[in-house]
Amino acid sequence: MKTDTLAIHGGFEGDRESGATAVPIHQTVSYAYKTAQELADVFDGRAPGYIYTRIANPTTTALEARLTELEGGIGCIATSSGMAAIASVVIGLVKTGDEIIAAAGIFGGTVSLFENTLGRFGIKTNLVDAADTAEFAKAINDKTKLIFVETIGNPRMDVPNIPAVAGIANGFNMPLIVDNTLTTPFLIRPKEFGADIVVHSTSKFINGHGTAIGGAIIDTGNYDWANGPFEDVKQLSKKAGQLAFLAHLRNLIYRDLGGCPAPMNSFLMLQGLETLSGRMTKHCENAEKLAQYLQNHPKVCWVNYPGLESSKFHSRIAELFGGRAGGLLTFGLDDKDKAFRFIDSVKLAKNLVNLGDAKTLVIHPSSTIFHEFSLEQQKQMGVTKDMVRVSVGIEDFEDIKSDVEQAIEKAFEVEK
Amino acid sequence: MKIVVNGEQVDCGDGLTVNELLIEQKVKMPDMVSVELNGQILRRTEFEQTTLKDDDKVEFLYFMGGGNWN
Repeated sequence: MKTDTLAIHGGFEGDRESGATAVPIHQTVSYAYKTAQELADVFDGRAPGYIYTRIANPTTTALEARLTELEGGIGCIATSSGMAAIASVVIGLVKTGDEIIAAAGIFGGTVSLFENTLGRFGIKTNLVDAADTAEFAKAINDKTKLIFVETIGNPRMDVPNIPAVAGIANGFNMPLIVDNTLTTPFLIRPKEFGADIVVHSTSKFINGHGTAIGGAIIDTGNYDWANGPFEDVKQLSKKAGQLAFLAHLRNLIYRDLGGCPAPMNSFLMLQGLETLSGRMTKHCENAEKLAQYLQNHPKVCWVNYPGLESSKFHSRIAELFGGRAGGLLTFGLDDKDKAFRFIDSVKLAKNLVNLGDAKTLVIHPSSTIFHEFSLEQQKQMGVTKDMVRVSVGIEDFEDIKSDVEQAIEKAFEVEK
Repeated sequence: MKIVVNGEQVDCGDGLTVNELLIEQKVKMPDMVSVELNGQILRRTEFEQTTLKDDDKVEFLYFMGGGNWN
């Protein structure tokens, strides 16, 4: 089946008992067994079964099966948020004294997790320029355990050369983790370009309506856990085979951290997936049109959208994403005051911390998502005081353009 | 035809598909099982088309929770 079909039918063929075609919401904490022995058998792995929704839930299982199909992976664990997904993966791989390499210019929350939270446990993060593939190889030392990139860095909008970075990771026998939140499986299956683990914040384009927080971890099956440097996963591979890493998470890391999704939220993600194809097409179309409009606007200082012909990543968008560059862009309005006045003046767009919603969203990253970082750190992350980020929605383009147009005019009114 | 299922040798009919093996082995919760064939996880959409051969090694793995693999 093709991606558009898998998004609607993947992982669920209808409820066997009721015939329901929508995935039932199993709003339960736990699962009862008739005998003590039955439950003991499930705990011992001698029989299949659900134990507790923190570990697994049938509604969430359907979401995991669908995401596995969409990413072409071997298995998935859905999480309570994108941050829970990244935390589970990285904590599942590193120990005190280890190092990780991450692209600079990725989501501020991810950088904070790596540098601040994991830094407290003696994990060192080396941020490198995602646009310069050689930097990844240069940053590797004998303590490095993994490489982490976003398909399109948010908000620096860098597009790493994923196949080349995968080649580097592969050469050093370490997994490449790719965050596919901004592009989704509709623009790229990172597995096909060498990614070992794919993570998502499903709260964004997958949910698509700003109604639930969630995340996901997909093992693409590319990494050979039986021959990696992760001793506990290696041992587990004798029993769990290719699923060793996901078993390591499900039965230890994810189970212990407690980052499970609510069944209702898994249902909302499944609903979102059904329309993702149509929404992504419109997000990409509208974002490209808005980027072109802003590029030609005399009062706009700069526009950063990798789909623009003027972007240094334009050819990579064609190679990796079939020519579609997603729904996120940034632009500059001279200074912070004008950026603020622009945000204060939009009527249709919402000023909030999210992206990938059907609605158009705006934010001033420097004073919000990145406020905890110094100006020097913000510069490395590609965040500037004059920057406005726009998550372009799927409204009629003319309405989005009119809103942006009048807000830019208002941003400059004080100058008159 | 002889194949190995979860480490034990099993006699089965020639040309058996993975789907048919799930039924023949009375695998519990077949919607939830992951199937590893000769070390590679099969996609669910491959269960119907994948025909087993002599000496194939099949593992049924339950990944939906519970089950202590440690």
